[in-house]
Amino acid sequence: MFEFDWYSLLLPLAYVGVLFGSLVTFSSLYRKRKAIASATLAPWFPPHLQRNIYLSLLHLDPAEGDEKAVAVPQSVVRAALLRRATEDIHRIIQIRTAKQACATLLQRGSVGDDLWQRFLRAEKEMEDELRDVVMEANALSPNWGQTIFQSANEIAANTMLRDRLDEIQAQTESEKQWWEKRRASIQSEFMKELDSSAASSPTKIPQKAGSEDDTILVESPTSTPSSTRKRKGKK
Amino acid sequence: MEDPETFDALPIRIDPVSKAIGTTSSSKALNEELEKLNALHRSILALETPVPPPPMPVNQKRTAGITKLRETGNDAFRKGKHAEAIKYYTLGLQMALGRPLWEPQGLVREEVAGIYANRAQAHMAMQNWVEGAVDAEASVEMKRVGNAKAWWRRGKCLMEMGRWEEAKEWIGKGLELEGSESDLTSLLKEIEKHVDVQKA
Repeated sequence: MFEFDWYSLLLPLAYVGVLFGSLVTFSSLYRKRKAIASATLAPWFPPHLQRNIYLSLLHLDPAEGDEKAVAVPQSVVRAALLRRATEDIHRIIQIRTAKQACATLLQRGSVGDDLWQRFLRAEKEMEDELRDVVMEANALSPNWGQTIFQSANEIAANTMLRDRLDEIQAQTESEKQWWEKRRASIQSEFMKELDSSAASSPTKIPQKAGSEDDTILVESPTSTPSSTRKRKGKK
Repeated sequence: MEDPETFDALPIRIDPVSKAIGTTSSSKALNEELEKLNALHRSILALETPVPPPPMPVNQKRTAGITKLRETGNDAFRKGKHAEAIKYYTLGLQMALGRPLWEPQGLVREEVAGIYANRAQAHMAMQNWVEGAVDAEASVEMKRVGNAKAWWRRGKCLMEMGRWEEAKEWIGKGLELEGSESDLTSLLKEIEKHVDVQKA
């Protein structure tokens, strides 16, 4: 009793079909690309050298059947784990300092979303890494997990402190050379000025030479431009 | 560390006698890291406990040694033996910086800042302005606040070397952190007077 007009229905159906087909294709393509992109997202940190060393040490079994291969002493393993924890501290500091800046930049749209994705992944990886280190520490020595990061924190800070001191003390040599040169030029300047002023106008010297010997020479900085510039560069 | 389950196996091996870790690779970073690892291993072996103790409490033996060297240095300085004082201070510094790395860095800063400031003073007494300036800077770097003496000493050394602008800047920075310390303000006035005369 119903007279179905299949032909007139064909057009809408085809329309719907094409619409959904293209939607599905687009979505699957898009997702695939996104997955590939996130898989190839560059890691935030370079390879974790200390972690690799630690794990390599654990797997350094005398498997080669070598006679001279010896078991790795526990103390070495502990030292390696402590080095690993120290590197983790550096990374945590980096993540903490970068987080605020990253979030602000993302809000303003100054950086892309993939940077934020990389950051979040690094943060999550760090959490896993910390948990792993604590577990390893507890396995190596009872309750070490509670203090290993305290120790690692001090090690990180102490290393930075000593590096900074070395940097400062390293200036001594070049500063000394500069000062030698400077003093020599000061002396020659002084003698020259003394000679010339003794000849022409002896009024200027007495009032200055009283307190500081170098006063006069500083007055004519144009005569030693190279040394002044050198010092600035070093600073 | 892309995947928590994997790692890159490194070409490292252990020396059977010395237990030092070495590598066949020529990578600079790896070699440096292994050197640090071996150093840390040696300092761990020197411990009585299997693992480094927590930063607090501190072993008092070293603290006492450092204090003693510093006192000896101070005595020598008071007697006018400046070179000797510098020697003692240098020894004290070596001892303070030789603390195991896991001991509290705040303590190291405190000790080192004091000794550097004293050594700067001894250098100044011998008119070694360069060394004095460097030591005072190191002291300030370790302890920025509550270290007016070291701020003053570097300012004075710079002044003696005729680096007026630098001295002015340095003392200005010091005053920001130390408040209106009278020594610093008077030194600044002196410097400013000189700079003004120079300009005039």
